[in-house]
Amino acid sequence: MSHNQGDKSPQTHNKSRRDFLNKIGLLVGVGTATSLLGGNAISVAMAYTPQQDSTSKAGKLLSQAQLIQLKAICAQVIPKTETLGAAEVDVHGFIDNQLFHCHTTAEQQKVVTLLSNIDKESNAQYQHQFAALTATQQVELLTQIEMGGQSFKQQYRGDFKFLKSLICFGYYTSEVGASQELRYLAVPGGYKGSIPYKKSDADWGSMGLYY
Amino acid sequence: MQNEQMYIKESQEIYDAIVVGSGVAGGWAAKELCEKGQKTLMIERGRIVEHRKDYIGENKAPWQQEYRTRVDNLLLEQQYKIQQQCYAFKDATKHFFGNDRDLPYNTPKDKPFSWIRANQLGGKSLLWHRQSYRFSDYDFAANSLDGYGNDWPVRYQDIADWYSYVEKHAGISGNADNLPQLPNSDFLPPFEMNSPEKAIKAKLEALFPKRNLIMGRAAHLTKPTELHYSQGRVQCQARNECQAGCSFGAYFSTQSSTLPAAAKTGLLHIAPDSVVHSLIYDEQKNRVVGVRVIDNNDLSQREYFAKVVFLCASTLGSTQILLNSATKTQPKGLANSSGVLGHYLMDHNYNANAGGDVEGFEDEIDRGRRPTGILVPNFYYQPDAKRKFLRGYMLGGSAYRENWQSSQYQDGIGVDFKNKLKQAGKWKFGLYAMGEMLPRFENHVALHPTLKDKWGMPQLDIHCEYSENEKLMMEDAKEQMTVMLEAVGVTNISAKTSDKPPGLAIHEVGTARMGRDPKTSVLNSFNQSHNIPNLFVTDGASFCSTAPQNPSLSFMAFTARAVDYALKEQAAGRL
Ligand SMILES: Cc1cc2nc3c(=O)[nH]c(=O)nc-3n(C[C@H](O)[C@H](O)[C@H](O)COP(=O)(O)OP(=O)(O)OC[C@H]3O[C@@H](n4cnc5c(N)ncnc54)[C@H](O)[C@@H]3O)c2cc1C
Repeated sequence: MSHNQGDKSPQTHNKSRRDFLNKIGLLVGVGTATSLLGGNAISVAMAYTPQQDSTSKAGKLLSQAQLIQLKAICAQVIPKTETLGAAEVDVHGFIDNQLFHCHTTAEQQKVVTLLSNIDKESNAQYQHQFAALTATQQVELLTQIEMGGQSFKQQYRGDFKFLKSLICFGYYTSEVGASQELRYLAVPGGYKGSIPYKKSDADWGSMGLYY
Repeated sequence: MQNEQMYIKESQEIYDAIVVGSGVAGGWAAKELCEKGQKTLMIERGRIVEHRKDYIGENKAPWQQEYRTRVDNLLLEQQYKIQQQCYAFKDATKHFFGNDRDLPYNTPKDKPFSWIRANQLGGKSLLWHRQSYRFSDYDFAANSLDGYGNDWPVRYQDIADWYSYVEKHAGISGNADNLPQLPNSDFLPPFEMNSPEKAIKAKLEALFPKRNLIMGRAAHLTKPTELHYSQGRVQCQARNECQAGCSFGAYFSTQSSTLPAAAKTGLLHIAPDSVVHSLIYDEQKNRVVGVRVIDNNDLSQREYFAKVVFLCASTLGSTQILLNSATKTQPKGLANSSGVLGHYLMDHNYNANAGGDVEGFEDEIDRGRRPTGILVPNFYYQPDAKRKFLRGYMLGGSAYRENWQSSQYQDGIGVDFKNKLKQAGKWKFGLYAMGEMLPRFENHVALHPTLKDKWGMPQLDIHCEYSENEKLMMEDAKEQMTVMLEAVGVTNISAKTSDKPPGLAIHEVGTARMGRDPKTSVLNSFNQSHNIPNLFVTDGASFCSTAPQNPSLSFMAFTARAVDYALKEQAAGRL
């Protein structure tokens, strides 16, 4: 039952639920598996589902303008490559929702303050809001902010690291991030202590989120 | 048997046995009683949780969870203030934790105790981390040697066969390491170590003769036996999402293991949503005859009756019931002629950890999520007056490759950053300490004189804190971990102690201890009340010391042994 070769996609991109049902179906019979597990389907529907366009209106915490700005930041931090990037999978919308429900007001404030500081610096240096800058300018500015360089306060660096951690969390726990950019094993089938690994292999997208 | 017949509400029947609680201890008591022909009523305060069907958090990928594994602030604040401190409290598991709003208890302001609870069918057996270790004679003798607590009225040879007995059914994976302080179990094959772990093991054992690094022993079916298949359990799939419930039945829980065995006899009945308020005691006969119950939902009252009662309501749950069963003639609580009921509360101490980087091994990675780690068994099992503290600790840990969760903190954005996070990071190796806690009279629980919960049950007042001994032990653990990590070549080591309150190791034991002397203990060596012959307490309340090992495997063995004894006593006409 264990596949102990260094896994190649797409076999490892087993989407959790169907794969789980198949696997347990083999063990206890498909009919039983489906009926036994029927109840679980309900809660899945409640998960934050990426929106087509979260920037079309204000969010739960952020204004529409802030969402547009955040989307631009997401696009620069984790851009589209062969896989979609953070902006395409609505990490900005996710962050608005997640901050509102799962973070302290101090953390919410941190992000709001950072967004306004980014615009402040953007206006001072380029006479435009962040969202209106060219991609090169955006990268330049975000890099300055992250490095906490000369004109920027050290606080910017801390705040930006926090925002970056939200972007990474939002991206690598999204379906695209966890199962296309990385390799998601819903049901590994057993534990192997050592398999070959090359730098070109994607990391597991399923590690470390649980216990 | 059909479920409709198994679950009951009203009954005037006198059962052969009542088991209060359905966790690790209660599940075993019910299984053993039923398999020995006893018509058994298991009474559980919480709701029914059916194997598979009610594992509502199982196998949901992060993106299928409302907040991607996290939990809404408001819910935490209002209902899970204490429970959220447990590492396993997540979106997928939160419904298996007790609700702090409904289950209040009190502690002095400066002595917090985090009481982690699981009040539903299956209790904490659904949530536990499955680490399973036998106690040894070093553990059973520890109290008698340094004078803390009372002497255990049992030795290893009394319980060894019972360990084997429960292990075969539960399924314990591990390696036969042949260590004096950590006797072998009847093992299923161990989980594999990854390469850095193997390398560290080799170096450590060469450099430190009495220190071993072994694979953590865990109640997982690495290679199920026919017995396991017959229970409907199959091989562990290495998801490590166990606490959400496991439809493969691959780890031991009441639902996967003991309940099906008990149900198969046709003799098991379960009264769910039944909060046991107190025991009904017949003064003349000096026997318990049943229990008073408050309905979990509508708060109505009812009673159940039996010839023998097994309290398995968890360490503090069982003691709370005994304290609340005080009568005119037994005003300090039932079965408490000794006056030690409620005293000698202990937990483990998990307040030191250390870790660092492992060089090399970059061309390999592990696959799957191993549901256990490595273990460095207690190397202080022989008392030594030169040490600054009494007793000892084990170290748990693992080697793992860093992933995006830590590499995200490096500087940079854009394609390069994304590509770096796509790769597995450095190998790391981490350890954490699991220290023994001394039994002390002053660490105790009592009923609050006025405050009650919504079922009318007096709330517990918990007075418990770590003493200087436990703190010195954690300082030592921090030092020793650092020394060992340096010696095996781990770099960038960081080591620290913390001050998490007791409770959070979730290994609470004591408060109705066993002992040879009825004047200083509540139970005899078979978990039977010294005072009331047909009353047994087989969960952690009965423990005389913690030992450094996780306790639940011992709950299983003591419970099975107590049932065997009870029925022999009954046959001899002494119950
Ligand atoms: C996250 C976590 C990890 C853990 N890891 C490990 C580990 O690796 N190894 C280990 O050995 N242990 C571990 N433990 C501890 C282990 O879970 C417990 O020691 C064990 O499950 C306790 O079993 P029990 O039957 O005594 O109590 P419980 O499992 O708590 O069961 C008691 C039952 O009694 C019921 N009850 C309580 N009061 C009443 C009442 N008045 N009336 C009716 N019913 C009542 C409760 O609702 C509950 O269902 C862990 C615990 C947790 C939470």
